[in-house]
Amino acid sequence: MNICRKAPRSQNITEKVKPEHLALLVKTEWQLSYVTPLYQFRHTQLKTYARQLSAFIAAEKQQGLAVEVGGLQNTFKVSFSVLQGLAETNDDPETVLIQVQSKPMFARQEDPPKTVWSGWLSCINGNPEYLQSLPKDFTCLPLFCSKGAEGLSSLVKSWLQRTFDCCFGPLDINQTTLQWLAALWTNCHMETNIQKLKMIWTLPVVPPLQVTYTVDSDDALELWRSTRESSAEKSRGAEDEVTRFMQGLMSHFYRHFRVDLSAGELNQVSSALGSAKLNGKIKISSSRYLISIFSLLTECALLKMP
Amino acid sequence: MDNLAKHLLQRLMRRIPASMLQSTLDKWGRLTAEKRKSLDFTQSKLTITQELVALCEESELTVKHITELEMIYVTENPNQGMWHTFQLLDPEDDAHSVELMQFKEQFKSHLSELKRNVSVKIKKHTDEAVWIRVAWGDGLSRPNHLKATYVVHYLQTPYVFVNALSSKNKPLLLQALTLSTKHQQIKAANLSGQKLTALRDLLMRQYQQVFPTKYPSPLPESDQSISKLRIEKVQAEASANRHRMAGETFGDGMLPALQSAFFQLETKFKDPTNEAMTQRDEPFICSVKFSSSNLLESLRHCASSGIASTPVTPLLSSIPLKGRNYFVITDNVPNA
Repeated sequence: MNICRKAPRSQNITEKVKPEHLALLVKTEWQLSYVTPLYQFRHTQLKTYARQLSAFIAAEKQQGLAVEVGGLQNTFKVSFSVLQGLAETNDDPETVLIQVQSKPMFARQEDPPKTVWSGWLSCINGNPEYLQSLPKDFTCLPLFCSKGAEGLSSLVKSWLQRTFDCCFGPLDINQTTLQWLAALWTNCHMETNIQKLKMIWTLPVVPPLQVTYTVDSDDALELWRSTRESSAEKSRGAEDEVTRFMQGLMSHFYRHFRVDLSAGELNQVSSALGSAKLNGKIKISSSRYLISIFSLLTECALLKMP
Repeated sequence: MDNLAKHLLQRLMRRIPASMLQSTLDKWGRLTAEKRKSLDFTQSKLTITQELVALCEESELTVKHITELEMIYVTENPNQGMWHTFQLLDPEDDAHSVELMQFKEQFKSHLSELKRNVSVKIKKHTDEAVWIRVAWGDGLSRPNHLKATYVVHYLQTPYVFVNALSSKNKPLLLQALTLSTKHQQIKAANLSGQKLTALRDLLMRQYQQVFPTKYPSPLPESDQSISKLRIEKVQAEASANRHRMAGETFGDGMLPALQSAFFQLETKFKDPTNEAMTQRDEPFICSVKFSSSNLLESLRHCASSGIASTPVTPLLSSIPLKGRNYFVITDNVPNA
């Protein structure tokens, strides 16, 4: 874990990315997966891909594969588009958004179709050495975020796999990353009110015990600052700051309850800026830190690839 | 049968699970055996409801009868909604001799003095609990039977459990309870949860509790010379000690199914490795919520497995010892 671990900067990316695109990404919970590089993917062929995927979904439906959405008479329309501006470096390919819309067969003309599934493929601040080492025909968009019916997710992944010879896998957000996000959001409290820092642990007892530990944001920030100063004095790295921050929180907890939280597992971290869960679900509530967080997730995806 | 009665019955039918319909209707007894037999319980709930409404109309049943049915259902299935506990304080000299009839009369009379248009039903359950159902109206409107408050009280104990009480009606209900039980005060007991039976059992200590003994195991015999045995013995002793202390703190066997405990912490941050934070004057504000399908069993397991250090801290042992699950901890009151 390298550059992404430094204290992130808030960026006003509304200058780089269209507000309506940002609106699609924020305030929504995404399920994360990693995907291996796509063979012969062309950003210029998006309309073709949309047609092909629509046909694929229709064909699978005909074969009786349940897609869990709407009645049998629904028609699905797929669109592929580019979310320009999210790519940070010259090596990052542009982000691609896929949307599946559904319209009941006997709907009126004025009824707008409903978006029943969305997903996007991106690569934000991807490791340049790795990206440059890929053969020319490969496009690396390792981070896949999806939202909507599981049946449609499977179909879209299935089509992408067979069309671009890639493979998908779940991207869990591990303990280290969750802790880093806790520190990140606390740090952000300097500029944006995060209201509270909430962490949820589960302890492996019978029956399982859930501990929801919510810290006032000003107090969390002071603790974070004090661990950064002391880490800086002793010239320790960024990772040490996060570890010491979490240890501080856990020791305050231990002082009162004499329960060791590290015997359990951190499942979820959330604040006014978003939430992240162990099972790979993430929600970003403000576009200001979107690049930093998705840079980190891109790195996680690249590391997880076989 | 007026529209309100029909509406009430339909809503109630949505609440009652299909598996409990037959037995609840049998207990109700407002429909003849013949009529009840005519209901086909294998049909969809919607169909059964329609047939039931028709039968009730034939029998000319009213809102009063439907509220009886609701009360039977809630009394048999009390672990729903959110129950809050109150404690009666400062009993008068004759508080101990208050018996059911007296309590019923007094409660109804006091409550109707405090508020007009309330509908009160009081029933004693088989386990000695007194159940009260209150539908609230006011000077201008009829009692609202769709949002009734339920109260459970065991006479001769100081505890009262309340469900679905609005803040507007709270002072009235509490005053009526205090007066009719011959006490001078009532306060919130800081114990809430979905499962009435768990709250009740926790307070009434109706679960098995291990009492601390001075000699928990037979007195040691002559020492063993093999050191491995000694190490295992020490570890086994440590584990046995943890189990014993866990049992003493929380109880043995099955524990009341309390589901959560909430601590508001407003204490200073003290950590010898972090001088800057330790020197702060202000408290470190945070809150902790513990949740589980059976919190006391989870905590007991934490203690016996070593995840929670023993002896168990007073913050956690207060839950079973004081029978409460809401605490505000400040530096002045470490044990709340």
